[in-house]
Amino acid sequence: MTYSVIESIRNSLGRGTGTPLLRRPEIFPARQPESVDVEIDQFLNEVNKLSGVGKHITTQEIAERLKELVCSENIHKATLWDTDLLKQLGIEDLLRETGVELISPNASKQEMELCDLGITECDYLLPETGTIVLRSSNKKPRGVSLLPRIHLAIVIPQQLRADLHQVFAEAKDAHYLVFVTGPSRTADIELTVTLGVHGPKELYVWMLKGSI
Amino acid sequence: MSEPHSYIGFEEYSQRIPQSIPAAVQQATSRFVGLRAARVAEMPHWEQLRQLGSDIRLHTIENLDYYLTKLEINVQAAGGIVHWAATAGDARQIVLQIAKEHDVKLAVKSKSMATEEIELNHALEEAGIEALETDLGEYIIQLAGTGPSHIIVPAVHLKKEEIASLFSEKLKIQAPADPAVLARIARETLREKFLNAEMGITGANFLVAETGTLVIVTNEGNGRMCSTMPDLHVAVVGIDKVIPDWETLTVFLKLLARSATGQKISTYTQFITGPRKEEGEFGPKEFHLVLLDNGRSKILQDSVGREIFKCIRCGACANVCPVYKHVGGFAYGWFISGPIGAIFAPQMLGTRVARELPYASTLCGACADVCPVKIPIPKILRHLRKRVAEGDVVSGPAMATSIRATAGLVSLALAWNWIYRTGTRLLPSIMGVFLKDGWIPSAPYPLSRWTSVRPLPRFNAQFRSWWKNKLGKKDTSR
Repeated sequence: MTYSVIESIRNSLGRGTGTPLLRRPEIFPARQPESVDVEIDQFLNEVNKLSGVGKHITTQEIAERLKELVCSENIHKATLWDTDLLKQLGIEDLLRETGVELISPNASKQEMELCDLGITECDYLLPETGTIVLRSSNKKPRGVSLLPRIHLAIVIPQQLRADLHQVFAEAKDAHYLVFVTGPSRTADIELTVTLGVHGPKELYVWMLKGSI
Repeated sequence: MSEPHSYIGFEEYSQRIPQSIPAAVQQATSRFVGLRAARVAEMPHWEQLRQLGSDIRLHTIENLDYYLTKLEINVQAAGGIVHWAATAGDARQIVLQIAKEHDVKLAVKSKSMATEEIELNHALEEAGIEALETDLGEYIIQLAGTGPSHIIVPAVHLKKEEIASLFSEKLKIQAPADPAVLARIARETLREKFLNAEMGITGANFLVAETGTLVIVTNEGNGRMCSTMPDLHVAVVGIDKVIPDWETLTVFLKLLARSATGQKISTYTQFITGPRKEEGEFGPKEFHLVLLDNGRSKILQDSVGREIFKCIRCGACANVCPVYKHVGGFAYGWFISGPIGAIFAPQMLGTRVARELPYASTLCGACADVCPVKIPIPKILRHLRKRVAEGDVVSGPAMATSIRATAGLVSLALAWNWIYRTGTRLLPSIMGVFLKDGWIPSAPYPLSRWTSVRPLPRFNAQFRSWWKNKLGKKDTSR
């Protein structure tokens, strides 16, 4: 007879095959959100506390902000999610106008590695921790928020959720999810905090104001 | 039980730890203790959350067969491949077989306790496969060829100058002693490896039975790299890591980072359910989950000892442990150190091999106070001491004769007042010989056992006269 882990567990616990499941403990109820403005403030505040750069901007400001970012961070190559909001905002054209070379989000990892900037949207936001939650698909590849040295997420207030309970209730069917909270960090050498050890060194989060 | 392991002589190891360890470990632990306390103070329902965490973990352990069966079905439904490993040897064979089938030459690894437990790196290297640790601290100690001194910051015992010369020697470059530059060198070196590796190996912080989801928490992003870049992802995870559902996961994500590093949440938390669905999204084509028993199912028989499996590997118990702070991770002789290691190794390896570990504690209870899932560590330590004393033991408890003799003398002196009085009068002159700046940096045997690890403060053995004076003063003031 082959050894079965499940069999061995049942023997140790004295549980037969038909033993019914005990009821699991009840979890606390979800957090009640504040007004949208308070939640936005809290969210951006948390992003900034973690050495990210969180900003509340209007859609009209985007062109100028992008230009500033391209100059200040010395950006030559960029890649971005192939999603509706980013198209609507005309991000691709804005980047081309500033002389940035665009790489397809479905390009090989070697090509994407050379990008200075990766731009994504996000699916959900958690104000308590300053977390952005990203799903994954052909149009929203995982590499865009991971390989370039700078990650910019353009987000909207509608993506705010009260807490983990809400996010999980909506997203547990996703085959891949990642929570991003601030830039990549380590304190492995003499406990000195260093940013950007494997993931992006910088995280920009732009929250759009008003209706889109 | 796990495969045979050489005897863990905690006492002997703790005498041989490098001098740099206690200071470095204390720097790390006091930082984490402070940060944790700050995060906990922000949480109004922390105690209820801990209780809930404990209840859920206990519930899962008591129904482990049910949740593991459910997990297997759901991982398979998501397109993943599940393997059951009864022993460490089985787990190694499974991973080697997968590597062989895919012609793997380079594997990148993110920090995983389970692969340390089965000593996977060694097996891979013997099979001619390069296995590279990618967590910065783990990468450093892999280059140095040593074990971890702390769970969260494994290379904390090495100074930046030592790391710089290690990088210079092993990577054949000129590395300055600057943490930011050293991190950048590691980033560049490992980036190339991430892109070229055929296999990514990870552990998991949690396995969600409800959907067959692997939850991986990291700060550096190496966990994301390992599970996203190579076409093949193999996760090796202990069967104790399963939790019922996403609703219960909310509790553990709130407890874990706050207890471990004093963050509200770690930088990256990934939720992986099977391999990628579309070609262009990145992520592995193939996903394997190796579920490791290695003696865990047998430990479940022991209703006291099995509470070890509530553990979520935060390391908070080590950070507050007075013993751990003075000896660091090396002395525990296996991959999990601190109070949790002291109750893990004796159960996994047997009380014969690890019989000194249940005694590597003062039973002060600080560990149980901070444990986010309320593991009664002192109770389990006492339970294991009983097993050592009554059970599969070769010799008595790991207290040396000399220490027992000293303890006997001290209690005798305290009981007989005249010996005490003579002793306290003689002590200053005896002590004077060894005194240096008010401390005793080294002393003859058996006190050398203390001073080899840290200096001894000057004795102030005037308690009775001090007390008499104090009482006298009080009386006159009335």
